[in-house]
Amino acid sequence: MKKKLMATFMAATLVVSMLAGCGSSEKTEQKTPDAEVNESADAGTDNGVSGDKTSNIDMSGVKLINDGVLTVGAEIGYPPFEDYAEDGTTPIGYDVDLAAAIADKLGLDYTFVNTGFDGILAGIGVNYDCVISAVTINPERLENALFSKPYIQNYQSVVVKKGSDAKINSLNDLAGLVVGVQKGTTSDILISDYKNTGTIDCTILANEQILSSFSQLDNGEINAVLCDSQVADGYIAGHPDKYELAYRDNSEPEEFGIAMGKEDTALQTAVNQAMDELKEEGFFEETANYWFGAQDSKKTQE
Amino acid sequence: MEKKTKAAIIAIVLIVIAWAALAAAKPSKEVMMSKCSPEIQKQIEAEKNSTRKRITVTYNSLGFINYCAFSSSSKNADGASKEVYVGFAGKVYSAKEGPAKFVSQMVNYTYRMLGCGENVFHGAKLTILLTTLTVLIGFILSIFLALGKISKNVIISKLCGAYIFFFRGTPLLIQLFVVYFAIPGVFGFAWKDLFSAPDTEAVYMGAFVAALIAFSLNSAAYCAEIVRAAIQSIDKGQNEAARALGLTYGQTMRKVIIPQSVRRMIPPICNEFIMILKDASLVFAISLMDITTISKNIMTNELSYMVFIPALIIYLIITAFFTFIFNKIEKKLSVYE
Repeated sequence: MKKKLMATFMAATLVVSMLAGCGSSEKTEQKTPDAEVNESADAGTDNGVSGDKTSNIDMSGVKLINDGVLTVGAEIGYPPFEDYAEDGTTPIGYDVDLAAAIADKLGLDYTFVNTGFDGILAGIGVNYDCVISAVTINPERLENALFSKPYIQNYQSVVVKKGSDAKINSLNDLAGLVVGVQKGTTSDILISDYKNTGTIDCTILANEQILSSFSQLDNGEINAVLCDSQVADGYIAGHPDKYELAYRDNSEPEEFGIAMGKEDTALQTAVNQAMDELKEEGFFEETANYWFGAQDSKKTQE
Repeated sequence: MEKKTKAAIIAIVLIVIAWAALAAAKPSKEVMMSKCSPEIQKQIEAEKNSTRKRITVTYNSLGFINYCAFSSSSKNADGASKEVYVGFAGKVYSAKEGPAKFVSQMVNYTYRMLGCGENVFHGAKLTILLTTLTVLIGFILSIFLALGKISKNVIISKLCGAYIFFFRGTPLLIQLFVVYFAIPGVFGFAWKDLFSAPDTEAVYMGAFVAALIAFSLNSAAYCAEIVRAAIQSIDKGQNEAARALGLTYGQTMRKVIIPQSVRRMIPPICNEFIMILKDASLVFAISLMDITTISKNIMTNELSYMVFIPALIIYLIITAFFTFIFNKIEKKLSVYE
């Protein structure tokens, strides 16, 4: 009996120490990307077109949640805009690069806060300073937040399963189909409006994450996914054997912007200035080329 | 007791009569529709044959009250327009602000949360259907599991133990993902193909069946432990006495032990039922919309926190109703104790 007790105790200690080990290694892992960021920031200033660029931008009126750090809210899980790298802790993507570049211009560090897209704007000023999460600028959102200048243009795209016989030449052709969208996105708002007004009679399946919609499409539960063009391109490029583009709605382009608190004009001015500088340096074209492929770079901000 | 029941019956009859009278007196759909301003009317006419309509007409009829809204898609300052009307007791009220606005919101939100005007896999209907079926199927499965676990056959006992360990030891959400996404992916079928209905309906049925399977398997594991505890709580002497009288193991279980233990299972099973009622919101993960998901949607779309009032009330009503039924069953079964 005593032996058994001992064995249990030892097993328990082992498990606990393993867990503890996990925790500490995670911490070190978390540190690495930060360190890398700092290094790359330094490298940037070294190659540096100029070290005093930060002084160009007036940061005096800007109040941040954490001093010296731009805290960015995003729903990480929306490739290619934001997603976790293979290690599962480092955010990567177009928006992450943009955040890094802007933070660099403002002379700040940056950190990402992962949050659900549902009600993401409500967390501004509480959990993070701004939201860079492929947020489309629209009138409803403008009522609740300030936006930077648009940083990319986006079109609604319909993705179907490879080899599908659905002929989609306009959004109206979605009638009678089951369409997957991510909840709360402009795709959701647009298709819901089409449905509510009685324009298109389709069934909408809204998911928390666009990843679920693509799984459903792959499994054959739904007929089509409606999403942002860059997301569609990213998925199709990643799985050309599974998905194909059925239609791109060029008639109603949308613009993505960085959302900030309603009263935070100081930050807005600073961010816009930083974006102007980035535009001059050709940052947008270069980054779009990297994340979306060459053909899409035309659509970025000119 | 007699007087109390009589009073209750009279009260219920009065409420039903009042309800019916108010429901009969409420303005009809046509009356409500004709209330909108000439501009909106013109717009609706103009885009009758257009491929892109911009005006949303919402008509909700909820018991004795009506809700009707006309809103344009654009919320721009120039193009924005939204007109809301509430019909009650023969009159139509404009619900722009004040108490009328509050009432209109409540009616609209309740209507959406109850899943009125949608198929059965929406809102409160989905929650109640899923919970009831889950508890029924889960309970039946759990009796076999519990008997298996206390069986003297080592293999059966270990198998049932392993089942319970697995389903209690992993989160329901992941089980739901496995059943809905992974299994069809691996075996190459789609849940909606199990039904002959058109795609637009079958997709909900498929998701519902997947949810029902995941929930039932999970609930069975929890109920099995409740059933096992109830069976084992019956005095050993009863078992021995029954066996001494010449009853077989099966007869002892069926005629002596289980009837007595059922009464002891009722309160924890009621607990389990209420837990599942709230866990049912997990079906958002496979694109079904239950009360919680709908109220979250409304909150993000309309930025209105009022939505939680009807949500909480609906949940409380459902819970109160089922607690009442469970209490009745418990009372009925405890007659002989």
